[in-house]
Amino acid sequence: MSSTPIYYSKAEYIETDTGNKVSRRATISGPQNIILGGKTIICTGAIIRGDLRRVGPGHAVVISLGRYCLIGEGCVLRPPYKTYRGTFNYYPMKVGDHVHIGANSVVEAAAIGNHVEIGKNCVIGKFTMIKDCAKIADNTVIPPNTVIPALSSFSGSPGHFVEYLPESTQELVESSTKRYYNLFQPLDR
Amino acid sequence: MSATPSIRYHCQCIGDPQPPPPHLPSSSAWFHPLHSLFFCEECDAVRCNRCVSVEVSGYYCPNCLFEVPSASVRAEKNRCARNCFMCPHCRNTLSVVPSDPPDDGRSHAPINTTGEPPFYLYCNFCRWDSGEVGITLEKPTGLATQLQHLEDAASDSLEFERLKEHFEPIIRASSLSSSQSAAPPVHMHTNSIAAAASAALARDIPGISKFSRRGKDKSKNKDEFPEYKARLDVSTASVRGSAGGKVDVDHMRALETIGQVASLEQRWDNSWTTSLKASDLQPLRLPLHAKRSKRCPQCTHILIKPEQKAQSVRFKIKLVAANYLPSITVSLPHLDQLAARPSDAMKRSTSGRPEAEIPTGLHPGRSYPFHLTFTNPLYDPIQVRLAAQRMHVTGGDGTEKDRSKRPPYAVSLPSSAFAVAAFAEEWEYEDEDEDMYGLDDDYSLATRATRDEHKPKTKAVGVIEKRANLTTVGGEIVIGKDAHGPVKFNMMVSYAYRSDDGLQDEGGAAKAKAPETKTFSFYTVIDLGLIMQKPAPPTELDF
Repeated sequence: MSSTPIYYSKAEYIETDTGNKVSRRATISGPQNIILGGKTIICTGAIIRGDLRRVGPGHAVVISLGRYCLIGEGCVLRPPYKTYRGTFNYYPMKVGDHVHIGANSVVEAAAIGNHVEIGKNCVIGKFTMIKDCAKIADNTVIPPNTVIPALSSFSGSPGHFVEYLPESTQELVESSTKRYYNLFQPLDR
Repeated sequence: MSATPSIRYHCQCIGDPQPPPPHLPSSSAWFHPLHSLFFCEECDAVRCNRCVSVEVSGYYCPNCLFEVPSASVRAEKNRCARNCFMCPHCRNTLSVVPSDPPDDGRSHAPINTTGEPPFYLYCNFCRWDSGEVGITLEKPTGLATQLQHLEDAASDSLEFERLKEHFEPIIRASSLSSSQSAAPPVHMHTNSIAAAASAALARDIPGISKFSRRGKDKSKNKDEFPEYKARLDVSTASVRGSAGGKVDVDHMRALETIGQVASLEQRWDNSWTTSLKASDLQPLRLPLHAKRSKRCPQCTHILIKPEQKAQSVRFKIKLVAANYLPSITVSLPHLDQLAARPSDAMKRSTSGRPEAEIPTGLHPGRSYPFHLTFTNPLYDPIQVRLAAQRMHVTGGDGTEKDRSKRPPYAVSLPSSAFAVAAFAEEWEYEDEDEDMYGLDDDYSLATRATRDEHKPKTKAVGVIEKRANLTTVGGEIVIGKDAHGPVKFNMMVSYAYRSDDGLQDEGGAAKAKAPETKTFSFYTVIDLGLIMQKPAPPTELDF
């Protein structure tokens, strides 16, 4: 709840027209296949694998992120893959608005809803579906193909349902992600 | 939580309107974060999750997200009747794999359309598969129906059927009295399970619910019950390798790892006669989740009513306290200064300050300013007045010795009322809001920097900052020489607002002595963190 700014080095981050702040030290592969919704922060050391696209001609969106997202330091976002009817393929990953992913988490989810909080050091298995306003505690391992229902909190390894989140979770997460973005300030040295 | 200052709100739960003393461990149950509280407009009172009455408004499977009609929930025994099974070992959700998993070993992704029968249930996490307990499936769909026969043959469900059969005549006989108990009494403290259970009990076995009510006809009915004879005798249970006995002893003799014994958690979800062997555990259908609506315990008005759709996070009715009470955040400026110094590239701005090496904690014998930021959620401005509750609340009559025992710290709060401006509709300053934030950060940084130069000297009590619907006031805490433990105190917040909530077109001009004002008071507990222990603590061991 602190109102002190979170500083970053101005030289390190690129700010886009829509307010995305992307670290130069993040690895963004296949940027033409990645959509950022605006006001999204991608921290140092994050890896976003937009290059792992579906085979076939033309343009394909691999990873799309909504607004006010945070991809923490050292996070890996990688589209899920499977062999279906004998052919290996990657599948797109869609992340909603106001999603915070803590440092060093590895995410291979198929879909993440809005207002989702994912803690530090989590592993989100392939094709996981995370519904709106869910929360994944730090150090949680979500096995592949798990569905995480709305307004529920998961933790442990394998991740289990812990509790229902309060009815005002949406407002809480929204204000905290907005606050985080506004506090994320450049420091000119 | 080391020294992060925090604030919690008191819910009286239809009890004593006075909050308990803040330092007792048991007091924490009475204080809640604002976002978890509700507000009943009828009673004009705060309600919390402990005191609201909860009802189930809908069931859904947490895996396939199917919304189960409540009519079929009971027949399906509160579990998913489609394809969702839980791993008996790690409780992960199982997936269906064909009989010949690809042999390259690395890809066990769901290949649920191609493969050939028989199919297995497979756990992606612990690699258990249903072949271990001899369960195979003919086709990859409708799993629950395929496995229904297993469930029906289980001794516990047979026993349950028998029980139902046994009570059937009694139900019919007392159907008359069941109509009386159709409406279960609304309990003050009830959770979803209790609510569902009491409703179900009252419906199913009226004879029993009648007993539990200690009715007048208790003795009369008691004798009407014929004796129930269990299908399975306890003494024979051991033969089946379940409840103790020689079989289990033999099994335990041959144990090699603890994992071979099914843990309590793994057996918990089963019935009473389960095998001790982990290798015998069977997959279970996934238990359903429920959406819940909540009612005020006193007037039974609905406080929370979710939308029908299971995965919707919207609510038809949502009376949360955050929309009524001002939200308060606490901060300790001396900690903020520490944090404010950008840690990475930090070339010690204004180094030689004495505060530079303050660790995160409070020292005895010093005084600290603290800031309380009030955010007004109402469309009208409010007048807030603060009062610290005396520390020695125990006796009521403030005894002198009581006070001497208490960790001696004194709290000063602004004594006069201060205003917090009205909340403007979001669209009114959504854009402006964001600009404002940007500006504001520069502004507050600048001011903070300048302010900090003088801070330790100036009197910190009073209104510090006002903007939008926020007002920050300062308070001060003076910590005694041999104080120890956490610094926690109760604070009463009263705010006056325009009571008549007819559609006033605008609140700004009419603010001063408007038609009629109402005052609402609530208690909070503020935790400013621990007092740092001196190297050699004094020998006091009171409380």
